[in-house]
Amino acid sequence: MSEAGRPQPVEAAAPAQPEAATTALDTKLDHAIERLAQARPFAKPAAIGPVLSLARRRLLQPDGVDALYARAASLDQAGIFAGTDWDNPQALSASFVGAALAQGSAQQLTLECISALRMLAIANGAMPHPVVSAEHARHFLTQVLAHNVRRVFAQAPDEAERQGDAARAELIHRLFGFLVAHVGHADILASVCEEIWRVLGQRPIQVQHARAMIAQIAVTLTREDVAAGGVRLGADRLINALFGPTELSRDDPGLPSYRERLAALDRPGLQREAAGFARAMHDVGLVSDYHADFLRWLLEQQLTDLLPDALGLSSTGIDSLRCYSDLVHALIAEAVTVATAQAVYALAMLLERGTLYTPAIAPGLWRQIGLELSAQAEATLAATFGTAVPARVHLLAGVISVLGQPLGVAQGNNPTCQSARAISLWAINDPDYLLYLIAQAAKFDRLRMEFEGQPLESDQLPQGLAQSVPADNDPVSTLLVPHLDRIYNEMGRLCAERPQDPHAWVNPEFHGWWVGRQFAIAVDVETGQLADYETFLRHFFASYHPLFNGNQPVIHPQPAGLAVTDSNGRFVGWHAISLLRVALDHEGTMRGYFYNPNNDSGQDWGQGVIVSTQGHGEWPGEASLPFWQLASRVYIFHDEPYAQPDLAGVPQKKVDDARRMALESWAADRGGD
Amino acid sequence: MSEDKQGGYVALLGWSLNAIDAVDRMEGRRYVVVAPDWAQDYCEQHNIPYIPWKFERINDRSFEIANVLKERGVDVAIPLFEETVEWAGAINAVLMGNPRLMGQAMLFRDKALMKRRAQLGGIRVGIFEEAHDRGDVVRFLKRVNQALLKLDGDPDDPIHLKAFDKAGCLGHRVIRTPDEVDTIPDEEFPVLMESHLDGWEFAVEAWVHDGKIRFLNISEYVRLGYSVFVPASPELEKWRPRIREEIEKLIETFDIEFGFIHPEYFVTSDGKMYFGEVAYRPPGFKVFELLERAYGFNAYQGMVLAFDPHTTEKEITDFFPREVVDAKGHAGCFGVYPRRRVVSDLAIPPETENDEYFEFHELQAPMENKVTKRNAFGTHWGLVYFFGEDPYRMRELLTKQEDLDFYV
Repeated sequence: MSEAGRPQPVEAAAPAQPEAATTALDTKLDHAIERLAQARPFAKPAAIGPVLSLARRRLLQPDGVDALYARAASLDQAGIFAGTDWDNPQALSASFVGAALAQGSAQQLTLECISALRMLAIANGAMPHPVVSAEHARHFLTQVLAHNVRRVFAQAPDEAERQGDAARAELIHRLFGFLVAHVGHADILASVCEEIWRVLGQRPIQVQHARAMIAQIAVTLTREDVAAGGVRLGADRLINALFGPTELSRDDPGLPSYRERLAALDRPGLQREAAGFARAMHDVGLVSDYHADFLRWLLEQQLTDLLPDALGLSSTGIDSLRCYSDLVHALIAEAVTVATAQAVYALAMLLERGTLYTPAIAPGLWRQIGLELSAQAEATLAATFGTAVPARVHLLAGVISVLGQPLGVAQGNNPTCQSARAISLWAINDPDYLLYLIAQAAKFDRLRMEFEGQPLESDQLPQGLAQSVPADNDPVSTLLVPHLDRIYNEMGRLCAERPQDPHAWVNPEFHGWWVGRQFAIAVDVETGQLADYETFLRHFFASYHPLFNGNQPVIHPQPAGLAVTDSNGRFVGWHAISLLRVALDHEGTMRGYFYNPNNDSGQDWGQGVIVSTQGHGEWPGEASLPFWQLASRVYIFHDEPYAQPDLAGVPQKKVDDARRMALESWAADRGGD
Repeated sequence: MSEDKQGGYVALLGWSLNAIDAVDRMEGRRYVVVAPDWAQDYCEQHNIPYIPWKFERINDRSFEIANVLKERGVDVAIPLFEETVEWAGAINAVLMGNPRLMGQAMLFRDKALMKRRAQLGGIRVGIFEEAHDRGDVVRFLKRVNQALLKLDGDPDDPIHLKAFDKAGCLGHRVIRTPDEVDTIPDEEFPVLMESHLDGWEFAVEAWVHDGKIRFLNISEYVRLGYSVFVPASPELEKWRPRIREEIEKLIETFDIEFGFIHPEYFVTSDGKMYFGEVAYRPPGFKVFELLERAYGFNAYQGMVLAFDPHTTEKEITDFFPREVVDAKGHAGCFGVYPRRRVVSDLAIPPETENDEYFEFHELQAPMENKVTKRNAFGTHWGLVYFFGEDPYRMRELLTKQEDLDFYV
């Protein structure tokens, strides 16, 4: 057509005003929501795309969070969450929200934002929900904020995130600002502190995250607009443990000034300092930089007689220290620095555990102290832990940590639970062997193990589950896991063709002679269906429950496999744990105590199965469940080769209870047998 | 609902989730989906009434499915895709006891027959011929340009080649010189050849019931194969009375009592209207979705009303809005083709994403880095949707999209 004949529109289209654009986008969004609402359930997936696309663009506008909050109920009712995990808000896990926001696709990011705003609408009573109560919604949001405390307290979008995707960082920042404005600071501070106390109660080796959170809380509390009230007390204990645990360090004077003050202190004053450090450390589980420096100062000043006080040792620990004083002094001199302060706690625990009395340990540690690291090991450790102190210092501190806190080992954010568990098990059952492995890997960049007599060299095997060197682990895991992972995988491959679950052979070969060669599994490997489950359960009770096994405690902690379920009792996956002990708690309930290589063992597995980490007789780092509940989730365990447990001696009711619980959760679709 | 509002029982031929959703939401109508057996699990899972059927070349078995549907009490079959048009004709011939419907369907499926029938009905068409080999094509190209009194050295007018029985742009080629004839693969023959018409191409969607037009939409192609919007701009809409006449002529010539037609026309600069082709099924390029966006009515539901013999006069009159004046704005879409030979990422241009008219897109991230060379018109990689009030801005916006990279 010709241009000449074309009439101009009466009013020339004005350049889009921001407000006009917002209104236009709102209209478009509402239209898309309306179409989604009309669509039959089977047609909803196709109608969700346009809504998400428009919602995302609306969210990115300055008042986008408000606009989406206003539409939270209609979005939910229209079916925006149809067919996704968000459709079951009662089962959502607050701990996933932060990662989904930061790393999820554009669609996941949008859904996560809408999900959070829906929770807020429910919490505020703006949107009644048939399943989720206002209290639940509020609790969920508090948890989300607690897990994202760094973002909550941040004054601006995270710089690292901003460099990756500025619009996303800005949106996340505005979302958290909006949530905090509606949920309130005080609630979060309280639950953040609670959360930190709960995590630290498990005495993890890796505490950077807790330290960062406490630092954030300290900064927040200095701001005037935060009315913390009674929360302050719990927060202050955490902050002081890090920044001013003793009389002399109360005002966080900085290390040089602190040393000056020490020099002027009399003997009773030094004793008070030593006791103050020890008290704060054992109370919270964190070690202050001042504490680490204090120990070095004591060595320098030849005041080593104050070490027992400074480490808070019992008579066992003191005896250990006296028997191996040269070694302990060397460990402090070589491994305890401001960058590795947390090793002080592990050192105290190492002494308390009496591990040093095992003949091979002291010489093994001397080898570690003098060990020259290969260039590759040095580079790997430096990449993760920095170069403020040499890699060998980090590794030595890490060695003290795993030997002192075998249950503090964790897999971080890596799919390597078997390797983490192995390190933990060796630290308990075979600490000298663990020292040997560490020395081999650090010096030669390889590990050799044997599978049924066949040698396996880690440097000649393909990559395992760990796709790269894990960056969020302790130094020993950082060094060992890539090797262990390959060997474990190769062992699995070597018996993949055998007519039974590979764990039957791999577990004893990989870990050591002390893993029972009798193997029990609840399911048929081919079909995944339950196989003679009744006998399996009877066997588990008869072997491990003290009332049915002749009151025999667990001798060596054993690897076992669990069917992990979510808070709805739905099957999530198979998971590796160690069975540590079985004992009565102070209420008279028989409990199974176990080690879970996850960072946080406290989990809700549905059906009222809530894994406890404190308050039921757990040692730090242990998880526990009433024995029958644990039995309902176990699917693999080992027993001694010639053991003939008294299956008939287990009461039917015990078996039935555990069995019913399994059939109503992870084993629901597994044939029942 | 009162007894007299009870509508009929329709069979949808072919798989379209949007169509199923639309008819499922209609009150007082029953339906069944007739689709290949890969749809079975989905239908069972979602309680969608379903009969498995393989729509291959029409054969003796068409009678079988017609009888199955008749036994069920189905009143009419509605084709959703080009490939199911002849099946609908065969089935409806049985369901309605009207054998002529089968012949009518064959006309819709053979572009050469279709043009002849139009010509017989006094409808203006371009010059066309069937070609069985490359020799036929060269001869036709020469004859057409001879007729146009071109001198040696003048650039030849192109001719168009189209498959007899394919929808839309599939298999559509433009031939400008005898050399290009060699690029046509053997398996594309026979084809229909048409002279080129220098004009404005547009499409019409018309819902017909009781032999009358119930709603007529004009879709404006901004660029054929790339972009379209509805309702059309005032320049094109000014031809509406003439277009209506042409459609009525078409209905009469093809003896259409009910259903939905989607013809294409050229209007030349002197106002002459040339018939291109007509299809008896929903148009491509999601024009139905665009219509719903612009007018708010569901075009699939309109189709059910048009096909269903039980539809009452009041029902169908109430259903459709007033043409053009009732539209809340103009809805358009743009089909994206990668412009580079090698692409690795989907990247919506900021000027598109930030445009006030932009709604959403259906583009996927590229599966392969290498872009296969387009022969003929090919298929776009996905659609980008726009909605706004000003048709001129819409046209400009859609034109502008042609110069943008959506894949980099």
